[in-house]
Amino acid sequence: MEHPILFISLILEALGLPVPHGPVGDTLLSKLCAPYMTYTWLIMALLIILPKITMGKTEMVPGSGQNFWEACVGGLEGFMAEHMGEKRAAMMFPMIATFAFYILPANMMGLIPGFMSPTSSLNITLAMTLIVWVTHHFLGLKYHGIKYINHFTGPMWWLMPLMLPIEIISNIARILSLSIRLFGNIMAKETLLAILFMLVGAFFGPLPILCLGVLVSVVQTMVFVLLSTLYCAGAMEHAH
Amino acid sequence: MKMVSIFGTVGIHVSACVFIGLGMGYYLDHKLFKDKTTPWFTLIFLGFGIFAGFKHLYTLSKRKDF
Repeated sequence: MEHPILFISLILEALGLPVPHGPVGDTLLSKLCAPYMTYTWLIMALLIILPKITMGKTEMVPGSGQNFWEACVGGLEGFMAEHMGEKRAAMMFPMIATFAFYILPANMMGLIPGFMSPTSSLNITLAMTLIVWVTHHFLGLKYHGIKYINHFTGPMWWLMPLMLPIEIISNIARILSLSIRLFGNIMAKETLLAILFMLVGAFFGPLPILCLGVLVSVVQTMVFVLLSTLYCAGAMEHAH
Repeated sequence: MKMVSIFGTVGIHVSACVFIGLGMGYYLDHKLFKDKTTPWFTLIFLGFGIFAGFKHLYTLSKRKDF
């Protein structure tokens, strides 16, 4: 189910670029012109331009714009420091804050007619999840070396043949659950909104779903950030 | 709010565990051993997957830090 109107795709089509009408295009150029790519670039541009405009030069006594961004960044860092400690939070902050600042506008963007959430494509969420998954194993290997396998062998050595496949399955399931949760929630919101706009758009039918969409966007952002923080913190802790 | 978002993820994680277990067993049976062991690895790894899902529930119920 594709969106009725996507204004970036319309502009690109008017410019003569090949915009794919299925989920993915066949040539490289049409892959780059897929809606989820173009809207990702829109969000990247917004994230670069918006702080530049609102913040200006950083000052000792912050103005309203700088105050807002300081509250965002400070709140996020405090939230992470609760789970993994000050030092590790400062180390992991760039990656996880990037996810937070990208996912929130990406989720919210689908609420505006003519826009689409890039996170309603499995490609985007799976890419982010794989980054988190590889990073938390890398951190585990970096902090524990070969002893990282103690995280997977369970509490007692004679339970190891049973616990090892179970822990590995549970760990691989993290990729599936983290990516499909974000994708499924946002895609459901998008599809529902598109259908309601077509059916009862004249009678403000999508309005309650728009309100719920804001809630879903915020909650899913929080869940993604919280779970990636917990996974990284769990990999750095000692095995119990 | 934090607890809601953690425990709201239990369902999908349990089902993901089951599907990963099933997929691993299916791969072992049909690709690695060329259909010689057909039902067994699928069933055993399906059992592992279900057990992994319930172990996730158990560890979540044991946590006291939030």
